[in-house]
Amino acid sequence: MIGTWLALRSRGILGLNARNRAYVMRRNPRRRYPLVDDKLKTKRLAIEAGISVPELYGVMETEHDLASLGQLLSSYSEFVIKPARGSGGSGVLVIDGRRKDLFVKPDGRGLPLSEIVYHASNILSGIYSLGGVTDNAMIEYRVRVDPIFNPVSYQGVPDIRLLVYRGVPTMGMVRLPTRQSDGKANLHQGAVGVGIEISSGMTTKGVWHNRTVAEHPDFGVPLAGLQIPTWPRLLELGARCFELTGLGYLGVDIVLDRTHGPLLLELNARPGLGIQIANHRGLKTRLDAIDRVPNLPSTPADRVQLAVELFRNS
Amino acid sequence: MRVSVVFIWAFMFAALGLGLVYLKVTRLGIPLDPSVEAAVWDVEARVGFDGRNLPVKVKLALPDSPRGFAVLDEDFVSRGYGLAIGNGTPNARRAVWTIRRASGAQALYYHVKVYPKRGDAAIIDGAAPTFPEVPEYQEPLASAINAVLKQAREESADVVTFTSLLITTLTNSDDENVKLIRKSATAEEWPNLLTTILAGARIPSRIVYGLPLDIEFVDRSLSPWLEVHNGEHWQGFNPDTGEEGYPESFLIWSYGSPDITDTRGVQHVHVTFAAARNPQTQLSVAKQVESKLNTGLLALSLSELPVSTQNVYRVLLMVPLGALVIVVMRMVVGVPTFGTFMPVLVALAFRETRLAAGVVLFLLVVSAGLMIRSALTHLRLLLLPRLTSVLVIVIGLMLAISLLSNELGIEQGLSIALFPMVILTMTIERMSIVWEERGPTTAIKEFIGSLVVAIGAYFAMTEEHLVYLMFVFPELLLVVLSFCLMFGAYTGYRLSEIFRFKDLAKD
Repeated sequence: MIGTWLALRSRGILGLNARNRAYVMRRNPRRRYPLVDDKLKTKRLAIEAGISVPELYGVMETEHDLASLGQLLSSYSEFVIKPARGSGGSGVLVIDGRRKDLFVKPDGRGLPLSEIVYHASNILSGIYSLGGVTDNAMIEYRVRVDPIFNPVSYQGVPDIRLLVYRGVPTMGMVRLPTRQSDGKANLHQGAVGVGIEISSGMTTKGVWHNRTVAEHPDFGVPLAGLQIPTWPRLLELGARCFELTGLGYLGVDIVLDRTHGPLLLELNARPGLGIQIANHRGLKTRLDAIDRVPNLPSTPADRVQLAVELFRNS
Repeated sequence: MRVSVVFIWAFMFAALGLGLVYLKVTRLGIPLDPSVEAAVWDVEARVGFDGRNLPVKVKLALPDSPRGFAVLDEDFVSRGYGLAIGNGTPNARRAVWTIRRASGAQALYYHVKVYPKRGDAAIIDGAAPTFPEVPEYQEPLASAINAVLKQAREESADVVTFTSLLITTLTNSDDENVKLIRKSATAEEWPNLLTTILAGARIPSRIVYGLPLDIEFVDRSLSPWLEVHNGEHWQGFNPDTGEEGYPESFLIWSYGSPDITDTRGVQHVHVTFAAARNPQTQLSVAKQVESKLNTGLLALSLSELPVSTQNVYRVLLMVPLGALVIVVMRMVVGVPTFGTFMPVLVALAFRETRLAAGVVLFLLVVSAGLMIRSALTHLRLLLLPRLTSVLVIVIGLMLAISLLSNELGIEQGLSIALFPMVILTMTIERMSIVWEERGPTTAIKEFIGSLVVAIGAYFAMTEEHLVYLMFVFPELLLVVLSFCLMFGAYTGYRLSEIFRFKDLAKD
């Protein structure tokens, strides 16, 4: 066990304690957290900065608003309802079609309007929110995923997680929903994470339940060798989120829409460490490499360039 | 940078806490082990004499802050006598009894309760004495003494070895000079002769009188002991063997004068001493020491509080230790738990119910609660009313278990009432949400983690020795705080991460 400990250390693997103390607490000022903990605020901020996000259809703030939910939804056949302060993809309800009066989930189950209202009401009461405080329900554009991911994702929306340190894209992975994760792109719920080379946007190995995997657990197709389209744009979008939030240690979640391209989904001030397993690389090594650069470039484009150079061969 | 600041604080808190503990242990003799009994000695001096129907004045030297002992209590038994305690010059504390007329056999008593302090060997004794004049010895003793002194001086390095060598020679040697010196003094006069001979080498020396408190005795007189000043402090020597040091637990009663009673108007004076060992718990002794010394060290003492409040603090002071167990389990081991302090509260409940019964009852309520909670899911209740419903059900379950076990005569079942129901409710709610969102595996894992941590906290919080230490030395909270600070700065891996990242350690 001590051998493993030392091996992890020498490979620059970041542990939770070190992440919290040396990076999250040092680089992320507490007062900036509300910007990322509340997805509505993130979305408004991003729109101001000209970063593309999934279009917001409406917000439910009180139980009273729920009376108008049916009317709001009548004009959309596809939409997503999610809590503004949820975490880990919990409380997200995706509807991708209509069947008579029913709203149809991606797995084909139809829900009556009352069920949708109940779900929104649960969101408002704070079941899914961090700390159980009352919340808002957001109704937004349902992302149509780029077909590149069709062979490797089970329903749901795969998303791309970029770890951005002091504005420099440091590590990336794409999270693919599985049967087990119930279409959610959350590693804790059983989604597969696949590492992406920062310099090329090419996928490498996968991680599933903290173990390295080479193939998708549901389809058996290889996970490596997938070229993420518009990768440089994605990197720059991630890098710009530093200026957006002022958070130095940031997880940026991006979806690739087949018509709108990369869209900012949400931000995370305490991004998880599973990304290391997906990339088979230690984060600490890369964070140290960035910290060694005397003057970090001030523009997102230059920081992307720096990242490509720094991490080309590692 | 930040790390070192944390460690400085942690070190300061730990040093402060442990320093206070150290002072209490050494100054007041509070034991670190509750079972230790203190040897408190009751020493009695009896002055007996016959009155001659004249005004009487009797003096008795009294021990004055004797080295290595704490005086806990003293009293005088002297019916009808006037009593004055003289405390003029150092080392000359004495009682003076007076009465207008006394006839027949009389007895005056002085009781002192002393307690040997460990690790208090320092001999603090005023200014250094002046060097004595070389006395004029009578021939043929003079030549013999000078010869012995000359020999000892040649063979020794300093005052201590000189004294030691001199006494050994004087007591053991078959030399003619030594025989002559030995013959010139009786056993009682011997220590005095030694000081006279040492004065010949201009070494300040004196005789102290005391009692070795190692075994109980009655009807004993003071033993003389030789003390020599080595230029820095007084050092004891056995006048009969020359061995350096003092007898074990030697209570020094008086210095200098062999005549510890200075009397007028009486005859047949004899002073006898008796000593009895009186075992007491160390803590009660420490309190008596404190009442004499007034160090203020027991200002933090919880035993001054009303008993019911004391009992509350006996429990409360253990909560930080339980929380520290959680800190270690989460930060260093990486055990997942529900909520932050939930395991401590469950452990507190285990304290009352005892472990086995507590675990069974806890499992019973949580699993029954979970089943009912999953039924509630279908009713689609809003958060707060749903939580309250679970709370009502939890209390109902607790009541049912109590009634049922009462009916069956299982006493442990009644103690379910001691469980914190809000914590049970929140546990059930958290668990059912985790169950739905992350699946039963995660939920059960977290539940088992919480239970393991709670059991660990239970053992830490019920360890009797720890309970004693925290109660008697509440300043140990500072040490707990210092540990928390250090764990707060711990950036190493958690043990669970060793397994999580196992694949990354391979090539």
